[in-house]
Amino acid sequence: MGFLLLLPILFPLAAALALCLRPLRAQRRRRAFTVAALALELGLTALCAALAGGTLPLLPLAEGLCVTFGIDGLGRIFSLLVAFMWLLSGVFTQEYMADREHLGRYHVFLFLTEGALMCLCLAANYLTLYLGFELMTLCSLPLALHTQTGPARRGGYKYLFYSVFGACLGLLGFYTVHTYGRGTAFAPGGVLDPAKVAGHEGFVAAAAFLAVVGFGAKAGLFPLHAWLPAAHPEAPAGASALLSGVITKGGVLCVIRVVYYQFGAAFLRGTWVQYAWLALALVTVLLGSMLAYQEKLFKKRLAYSTVSQAAYILFGLALLQPTAFAGAILHVVVHSAIKDGLFFTAGAVIEKTGQTDVRALRGVGRAMPFTMGCYTVLSLGLIGIPPLGGFASKWLLAEGSLASGIPVFGWLGPAVLLVSALLTAGYLFPITVSAFLPGADLDGTSAPPLEPGPWITLPLAVLTALTVLTGLFPGPLADAAAAIAAALC
Amino acid sequence: MRFLMLFAVLLPLVSGAVLPLFRFRRRQRERYVFAAVCAASLAVLALLLHGPAGTLRLFPLTSTLIVALRLDGAGAVFAGLVAFLWPLASLYAFEYIKHESGDDRFFAFYTMSYGVTLGIAMSDNLLTLYLFYELLTLVTLPLVMHSRDVRSVRAGMKYLCYSIAGAACAFLGLMVLYTLGDPTLRFVYGGFLPADGPRRTLVLVGYLLCFFGFGVKAAVFPFHGWLPAAGVAPTPVTALLHAVAVVKAGVFAVLRVTFYCFGPAVLAGTWAQHTAMGFAVFTIVFGSAMALREPHLKRRLAYSTVSNLSYILFGITLMTPAGLAGALAHMLFHGVMKITLFFCAGAIMYKTQRQYVPELTGLGRYMPVTFAAFAVGGAALAGTPLLPGFLSKWGLAAAAMDAGGTLPLLGVAALLVSAFLTAGYLYAPLVEAFFPPKGAGEHGLAQAHDPGLLMKVPFFVLMAAMLALGVGSRGLLALLARIAAGRW
Amino acid sequence: MALVQNFPFITIVFSLTCGVLCAVLPGRGAKRLCLGWLALTTAMSGAVLRFTLTTDGSFLYRMGKWGAPFGNELRVGVLEALMATAFSGVMLLSLLGGMRHIFADCEPGKVNLYFTMCALLMSSLFALIYTNDLFTAYVFVEINTIASCALVMLRSSDRTLVATTRYLIMSLLGSGLFLLGIVTLYGITGELLLESIAEKVQALFAAGQYSLPLTVIIGFFSVGLAVKSALFPFHSWLPDAHGSATPSSSAILSGLVLKGYIIVLIKIFYRVFGLEIIVSEQVSRFLLLFGVLAMLVGSVNALRERDLKRLLAYSSVAQVGYIYVGIGLHSELGMVAACVQILAHALTKPMLFICAGGFMDVSGGHKDLAAITGAGLRDPLGGAAFSVGALSMMGIPFFAGFVTKLELARGALEAGPVTLGITFAALAVSTLLNALYYIPIVFNLYTRPRDGAWAGVRQRYHWEYAAALAAFIALNLGFGMGSDWVVGAIRRGLALFGM
Repeated sequence: MGFLLLLPILFPLAAALALCLRPLRAQRRRRAFTVAALALELGLTALCAALAGGTLPLLPLAEGLCVTFGIDGLGRIFSLLVAFMWLLSGVFTQEYMADREHLGRYHVFLFLTEGALMCLCLAANYLTLYLGFELMTLCSLPLALHTQTGPARRGGYKYLFYSVFGACLGLLGFYTVHTYGRGTAFAPGGVLDPAKVAGHEGFVAAAAFLAVVGFGAKAGLFPLHAWLPAAHPEAPAGASALLSGVITKGGVLCVIRVVYYQFGAAFLRGTWVQYAWLALALVTVLLGSMLAYQEKLFKKRLAYSTVSQAAYILFGLALLQPTAFAGAILHVVVHSAIKDGLFFTAGAVIEKTGQTDVRALRGVGRAMPFTMGCYTVLSLGLIGIPPLGGFASKWLLAEGSLASGIPVFGWLGPAVLLVSALLTAGYLFPITVSAFLPGADLDGTSAPPLEPGPWITLPLAVLTALTVLTGLFPGPLADAAAAIAAALC
Repeated sequence: MRFLMLFAVLLPLVSGAVLPLFRFRRRQRERYVFAAVCAASLAVLALLLHGPAGTLRLFPLTSTLIVALRLDGAGAVFAGLVAFLWPLASLYAFEYIKHESGDDRFFAFYTMSYGVTLGIAMSDNLLTLYLFYELLTLVTLPLVMHSRDVRSVRAGMKYLCYSIAGAACAFLGLMVLYTLGDPTLRFVYGGFLPADGPRRTLVLVGYLLCFFGFGVKAAVFPFHGWLPAAGVAPTPVTALLHAVAVVKAGVFAVLRVTFYCFGPAVLAGTWAQHTAMGFAVFTIVFGSAMALREPHLKRRLAYSTVSNLSYILFGITLMTPAGLAGALAHMLFHGVMKITLFFCAGAIMYKTQRQYVPELTGLGRYMPVTFAAFAVGGAALAGTPLLPGFLSKWGLAAAAMDAGGTLPLLGVAALLVSAFLTAGYLYAPLVEAFFPPKGAGEHGLAQAHDPGLLMKVPFFVLMAAMLALGVGSRGLLALLARIAAGRW
Repeated sequence: MALVQNFPFITIVFSLTCGVLCAVLPGRGAKRLCLGWLALTTAMSGAVLRFTLTTDGSFLYRMGKWGAPFGNELRVGVLEALMATAFSGVMLLSLLGGMRHIFADCEPGKVNLYFTMCALLMSSLFALIYTNDLFTAYVFVEINTIASCALVMLRSSDRTLVATTRYLIMSLLGSGLFLLGIVTLYGITGELLLESIAEKVQALFAAGQYSLPLTVIIGFFSVGLAVKSALFPFHSWLPDAHGSATPSSSAILSGLVLKGYIIVLIKIFYRVFGLEIIVSEQVSRFLLLFGVLAMLVGSVNALRERDLKRLLAYSSVAQVGYIYVGIGLHSELGMVAACVQILAHALTKPMLFICAGGFMDVSGGHKDLAAITGAGLRDPLGGAAFSVGALSMMGIPFFAGFVTKLELARGALEAGPVTLGITFAALAVSTLLNALYYIPIVFNLYTRPRDGAWAGVRQRYHWEYAAALAAFIALNLGFGMGSDWVVGAIRRGLALFGM
């Protein structure tokens, strides 16, 4: 059943190629093709997740270097997440970008990036992971650069350089594992060979740290976070959603694979690496929240929010503890859904009102009640109000942190998470308030209805529903995550 | 079979030398040159397939110093690279030189360079290598100075100066080998110097003389200055000679001197090795950094070459078979990648007269094949998996980490820094070309289009070659590992 | 006593005779006589060489059958015979190659005197090579000087007048020092034959007597002969003299005359004092140092020259430096290197001067570097020969200059670290500098002049010019490829030299 693994990867590539060879100029045709392809991709991914097993060594590049694919619990979660979000974003884009230029180019790279992400999710060793990471950067760059405005290009350059730099650090990790390990295939608990490592622990630990920082750059880990607020806001909203919601999770997946499946939690537990990582994650949480709080541009605020939220996940992973791990995985899904939704709303609002500044969104709730209603629910979810999704994940993170027994960080973590939650409320809620309750001086009755069409509102609704569902029934996902965690920590 | 070696060396040499006498027209000259080049390449191919063929002694200079040819593993790698790329470069040159003058002289020396380079590859001993090495300088000098304007002449004199000085130093190292080692200077895997012989310091100084002397052509800091200056030459010259033939001759000579003359047994762990490696590691980063700052496209690629050559030198100075295998791999792969990039730069200059990176804005739409090749070459050089650069970098890093020690690990760090910088200086032109600023005028772009077939064919062949090498070179890498262990 | 053994004496004496005869013959006749005689001496010297090689020894030839210490002696060994053969061959080719210029430059009616001087010069060179007696050496050194001056003065012009005067002054200074040395040595030892002096000197050194005067004598000899052979810093006369003379004269002066004095110096060092004494007197240090300086200064000055012949003259200064470096290494290998360079330079520099003459022909008589642009296209054989010479000067394998570099480096490797370092550095820098001025000239030769000057002019090949150049090229390549034989002969010769 190995070849099933290839389907989710190759299908988007084939779709991209088809679009290259026969660009569909007619809007209707293109919409149909895109939605159909993305839906089919979701189906293939589900099929793969359900039926595929084992590994598929595909391309032997050299002695000891083989591009290998495989699927495990973690891979299932991430690949399904990718395919699902991609479908929603694809639908959203059809209306959002209906009258933009270079749409053909956008769609080609949309598919290519999905293929790259699938390669990342279904990677069975470090080489394939790295391949997916590099391809992901290269293929998503055109999405970030799409509008070709000055800020977009600057953001794109920053994205490129930070990502490549992160990839280089990740490559160091690859070389290290290759030299000091029993091969580079993913194995729960790590593959380091104690005999080879003996005497070089310092170097190996340093390499692990650098790999975390490098791959973490994709998720906006301080100090390599500066590209996120530069690039995410300038991309078209559909792409921003994917960049913030999904591609950052690609970075997270790399971190998980490297830490838990290559170096091994046992090797890193209690070392300076873990402490430094925890410190960086907490700093990022705070930094992101604070910068979001005082940021006035809507999409940029959401980008800073991503920085902060992704750091929650990284914090949970740094604890090297099963509960925290489960919380991190849960937050991956939850944040992905929420952030995508938030970007969809931001995109719709900016598109319809032409306003990018949050202070100018007074009263927009009257004109776009459904959109802003979804926004409110999503915000609540992100803040962590039960029974919405964000609460469950944050609860697990805090529980894991306290149970981990790590000095200082054990209690500092939940404290920072709490502060950040307050700040999150501070930067998300006022928008809701000023949208629905603009104050007496604004006459809301004469606002023309600006509600976007079904192509936008439907994905929004799905994501909002998902947020609620994961809040009410976190069980299945959390249990699945816990099962994975048990083998790893 | 051995005479095939002489044929491969002499045919281009002689046919190039007599070219001006024929007074060809353009078409005839193209056919003549292409026939000569292909004949020599086929001879090399036959030699590679046949395997070791023994030594062909040509002329004795003294009772011990004999000019002789022999094709062993390392030489086969170099010869194969050159034989593959020269016909492609000739096709490219045919179209490019159309708009320059002095074609006879150009193609005469161009063809002769091929013979001389094969002579270096197939040298049986250090004297033969030294002889062809000096000849290479003399034969490529007119190509650098082709345009005869002030800048070209100055660049040529710089090239001459550096090369002759380097060869003079290398000669002194050769004399140390002659006196303390084997007066025939015949290449032996593992070196022909006794491991714990007398006059250690002299031996090590001799090695450094050879390393830096031959290293001039390999553009190691601080003797790299000639290479960016030589970018004023016509692009076929820069591409083939200064990205492939001349500079690879330099690293090849260092390789021969390190592994087949002095030998790792004598050199490993000594201050000479550390010095050499230190300079190589520095040059890796230095070249990439200079490339990032350089706005002129060809000079940028020249600095990139400076950096990448030191990757190879780094692999050599590790003094392990794994390091040598990595070095050989990068020698091959870099040749293919860099020549592609230079061809692109040349095509852009040829069609639009634009030489600087900021001028490339928006060209991507109008010259898709050219920039596609640039994209593939750039991604390959930056070390993207599934393309060859990743494999050779991995080989070098793995060898360095296996060797252990501070300096090799610094080298790995340098490789990574350089990879980052490489992405910077190669992807930036692509972003400019394909994602120009919104509203940037399209002035002057309408006439820009992809070059003709003679230039496009090399692009396609090279792109295909890079993809093939990136994915399917397992057998090749195994072969290189065998050669590096001395088993061919 | 084989017939062959008489040849050295014959070559000396009959060269003198030939010279006298040339003075009374008309120009063309003198030319034929001189050339014919030179061909004969070359053959004779070759026979002597074969003889010494096969009999594996040197022999003493007493003139007048009177033994030492009264009669005069010639000592003939492998090295001497080799030098004699080479010198007479080169002189023959030099005269052949520049024949047209000789006739063109000379005042009509005086051409035969030129050949007289050449014959005298040949005789003195043979004598310097063969002689075993100090006073004879001095006599022929003077004859050498006078004859050389005449060679320079062939073409009367202001410049040659000034050049000759400077040459004469410097040269006589050198001769004076040389004479002082001889006189002092005679005063101390009372002997004039080299072996006899050597015995006395050894005894004196062993007894520790007269050590200061002996040192001073060595100094006189060294400086005197160094001046005459244009070692730095006594080289300033050379560029003027060699640069302004007719090509044949420049060739002979650069290639042969300078070497004659050096051979005398080598003989004195080896046969009179012996290597150990020379070493202990630190003379070799100075020679090495000045040799290195000559290599560098000569080339640096050549780089700045725009006149081709002066450039070649400065190049000679540098090449003479090589010889002194070889001597200064005070080892057997070093001496071998010095002798190799004597021969190699003797084969190369005359060829370059002859080519310069040819280039002047096709460039309207001008000899500055700008004027000879494209001369290689107009005079292909000259261009080819010049290229061969240039490659030889740079030390490319296959050419004569490479053998010099090889042997010099080998010699240096035998020496101590400081000497090794200095010599290696000098070799490297000198090679580079040589390339820097020779390669651009070669390029220039094959570039068409922009303004189309001298476009239709072609060299008219007289058989003499063509034959001389062809022979020079062949000899250069032969030396480069067959150096084993030559180096072996030199080795044997030095062994017999009384070391």
